[in-house]
Amino acid sequence: MRATKLHADAFSGCNPIVNFMYFAFVLGITIFFLHPVLLGISFVSGMVYSIYLNGGKAVKFNLAFLLPLMVAAAVINPAFNHQGVTILTYVRMNPITLESILYGIAAAVMIGSVILWFSCYNAVMTSDKFLYLFGRIIPALSLIISMALRFVPRYKAQIKRITNAQRGIGRDVSSGNVIVRIRSGLSILSILVTWALENAIETADSMKSRGYGLKGRTAYSNFRFDFRDRILVVAMLLFFAGIIASIALHRLSVLYFPAFVINVPDGFVLVAYAEYLIICTLPLMLDIREDLIWRTLRLKIVSSGNKSSNGADV
Amino acid sequence: MQTSETKVTGQKRTIVAAVMILFCIPLTIAIGILFLNDRSYYPISLMIILFATLPFAMVFESRKPQARELVIIAVLVAIAVAGRTAFFMVPQVKPVIAIVIIAGVSLGAESGFIVGALTGFVSNFIFGQGPWTPWQMFAFGIIGFLAGLLFSKGILSGKTLPLSIFGGLAAFMIYGLLLDTAAVMMFTSTWTKASILSTYMLGVPFNLIHGASTILFLLILSRPMTEKLTRIKKKYGLVEERNDS
Repeated sequence: MRATKLHADAFSGCNPIVNFMYFAFVLGITIFFLHPVLLGISFVSGMVYSIYLNGGKAVKFNLAFLLPLMVAAAVINPAFNHQGVTILTYVRMNPITLESILYGIAAAVMIGSVILWFSCYNAVMTSDKFLYLFGRIIPALSLIISMALRFVPRYKAQIKRITNAQRGIGRDVSSGNVIVRIRSGLSILSILVTWALENAIETADSMKSRGYGLKGRTAYSNFRFDFRDRILVVAMLLFFAGIIASIALHRLSVLYFPAFVINVPDGFVLVAYAEYLIICTLPLMLDIREDLIWRTLRLKIVSSGNKSSNGADV
Repeated sequence: MQTSETKVTGQKRTIVAAVMILFCIPLTIAIGILFLNDRSYYPISLMIILFATLPFAMVFESRKPQARELVIIAVLVAIAVAGRTAFFMVPQVKPVIAIVIIAGVSLGAESGFIVGALTGFVSNFIFGQGPWTPWQMFAFGIIGFLAGLLFSKGILSGKTLPLSIFGGLAAFMIYGLLLDTAAVMMFTSTWTKASILSTYMLGVPFNLIHGASTILFLLILSRPMTEKLTRIKKKYGLVEERNDS
């Protein structure tokens, strides 16, 4: 899938408000409602989107980490939970019930979906987007987060410089016995911490002299909220409200204990399923739309032949 | 002057915390029982953890901290994050709790919580955010807060050995217990004694390694780190800086 990609993930290019709202809705519904159909929709679309975003890495991760975790969750529930009226068998005097097995599978799919969606979240919601969103609500904490994220690579680079300087005066970490090595390693860390703290004061004073904390200062951001974002936000809110309404009206209900009962799939409920499917597959639909646009543009470029650069400014 | 200010922020936090404990948390549980048939332990526990973290964040923001204080906190968060990434191949060996405790003791309970919670959050930009993030944030944060509180009340001494013992216990009891509880909430539908006990038992070896490594890190780090922080505070008058705001 990755190899044939024509463009960057379209959903990642939306405004961070759209990204965050999307993940909040999908994760919220996945965690709060253990409804089999909703979980199935969430799991499958989370899986497809994570593979779309992360390629082969996602497939490997899903097989090596996600699958065992889900199997464990599915097995743990019937082993400890003996509620339910349909007793299938007895294991060491403890009843194994159909209901607890069903619940175990639902819980496993829930956990799997949450982890899949978080792997998508990690790819889409980069730290700059988070800071853009929360910079105004929690300015001081956001500033600490952004500085700490910057400091980590900076300290790594500084460690290299300190190590080289220490080697210059004969304190090489790669020579001598273990105790000598540990000692010179620790002294490098000690130098780093002192440097970091001194440097921090300098940074802070520089910030202060440039007016940090004064009134009327604005923050730079590289994101715009355009027409597409507006449409996406309105659509998501509408569909989300539709799902919440069906849950509040007890049309989307499920009961695992004492007996497994699920709502009748009438027209009303099917609409709610469709709404959830649309929400969950929103990023994929955006990507498919972008794919089509790119293909037609390419065709146009090819068909326009040697008409020089006309195709480029479409 | 400083004591009166800490009293005010303390009172504010108490009010916010009281609203959370008396109103938001029972409301969450009630909604859970009414609409989720009392079986969704995980989302409810997640909300409670978020509500428990909010008062600290709100008080910190409303205090409008000075640039110097912010940058020092950011440095400690970055050191803890870098420390966690440095030991990423060794499971459960992480210096985070050690640094959070040092932060709590030298900068105060409030900053201890912020350093802990933000370390949990920022390091997961590297390790991956997940449903465990709020739990880690709260566990690291509350350890830093407790260290600072016990130190300021004179119960915990700032010497290396008591700090190391406190760190080992905190890693084993507070962090271990909270994250094992998160696992129970996520994996099982009912709270049976057997499922809780078996999860805690499975967690014991991991928590033991975490506790032991925290003791080791504190034995090595606590004295030099505290000295450096005290020095910087004295040299640049960080304590006074906070007063004139």
